[in-house]
Amino acid sequence: MVERNERAFAMHSMNDERFFNLAMKAIARQDTEAERAELDALMARAPELKQEFERLQADVRTAKDTLPLVEAAQATTGELPAYARGRLQTKVRETLGRPAAGKETSRRLAWGWRWVLGLAATAAVILLVALPRLRAPGAPVIQVAMLDRTGGTRGTDTNDVALLQATLKGSPVRSFSSASELETWEKNWPANGRRSTAKVIYDPAKGEVRVSGYSQGKFFHRIFPLDKDLATTLQQVNTFILEHGF
Amino acid sequence: MSLPDLHALQGGDEAAWDAAFRWLWPTAFAVAQLKLAPFLPEEVEDVAIEALEVLVEKVREVRTVEELKPLLAGITHHRAVSRLRERFAKKRGAGQTESLDAPAPDGEVKPEPASLESPLDALAERELAQRLQESLSALKPPQGEILADFFLHGLRYEAMAKKHGIAVGSVGVHLKRGLEALRRIWGGREDG
Repeated sequence: MVERNERAFAMHSMNDERFFNLAMKAIARQDTEAERAELDALMARAPELKQEFERLQADVRTAKDTLPLVEAAQATTGELPAYARGRLQTKVRETLGRPAAGKETSRRLAWGWRWVLGLAATAAVILLVALPRLRAPGAPVIQVAMLDRTGGTRGTDTNDVALLQATLKGSPVRSFSSASELETWEKNWPANGRRSTAKVIYDPAKGEVRVSGYSQGKFFHRIFPLDKDLATTLQQVNTFILEHGF
Repeated sequence: MSLPDLHALQGGDEAAWDAAFRWLWPTAFAVAQLKLAPFLPEEVEDVAIEALEVLVEKVREVRTVEELKPLLAGITHHRAVSRLRERFAKKRGAGQTESLDAPAPDGEVKPEPASLESPLDALAERELAQRLQESLSALKPPQGEILADFFLHGLRYEAMAKKHGIAVGSVGVHLKRGLEALRRIWGGREDG
């Protein structure tokens, strides 16, 4: 596609209008012999009309290339096939991460993801047990949890766990299926008050990430709404935590 | 049908997406059909669904709900072109081009794959969507229909005047304005 800057032909007189209509009919092969002869005579008398005719031919080619797509883009008839709905809603959940309408999730996929999540949970337990021993005494601790009411059957959950771990210094992620359990965990702080500890809670249902903790004996707390996406919000969380000496 | 709530779509609201899929489906299907119907009619639905999936991935990049249909049309067009290229490449690789060039039921010979290429294929998805959106805004009724009736459906001046309830003398004016709008949006096309 190349932009053209030629002066537009304007229909200022009846002759111009007549020429345009004759040209259109000729290009669309709708002209009679008499009309074709009249057009040829006009172009013979005024050579600039020959150029204009060629330009109109190019315009018509552009119209024929683009109009079918423009027309199709405005289509309003046709019904979404029933089988497509489940597939598309799964895509919505996986991509945009809202709570699933459980029934739509395919069983096979569910089992597949449970497997993956099971492994992730095992890895998380190992890390939970091993990490405190590996850390230097008194080193800051970041604890991460997420509320997962669907029981970890969605691909998004697995992605979210990976994202949380990757962003928050590899901290293991605990997954809670009930809000009350999560609340209990959220309020349970280590007995050793001198150790800086931060809790990061990802709550997809509320569309937010909550951060609270103790640093140098002072309590801090902030809620980060998921304005854009989880990755962006977690970057903000990370910066916030770093500012508190983690 | 009212326009979907973009904020709800971006938040992944299931009901909003249900309504949006119903609203968007005719566009995806019609665009896929436009490109694939002559050669891969059995894949029209699949490509339309794939295009809707891609739209879900891109919905957070969209600023107004009016952008959705042109964007979907652009996505669908490109996916259909890719699908055609894949299939032609496979057929070529297996030395089976014959069936694709077979005469259509009406006796007309189907075009060679190379002739399926459209200048639109060279436009990036976003640019194609942008120009489509501009076209939809510029070609207000009945301008777009008059252009399509004349250039795509072969209606004569008199028939268009009757169909759209306008004077025969004003058909040319509509055609001229429509062509000018398309030239402004899509630019001229250099052949070859």
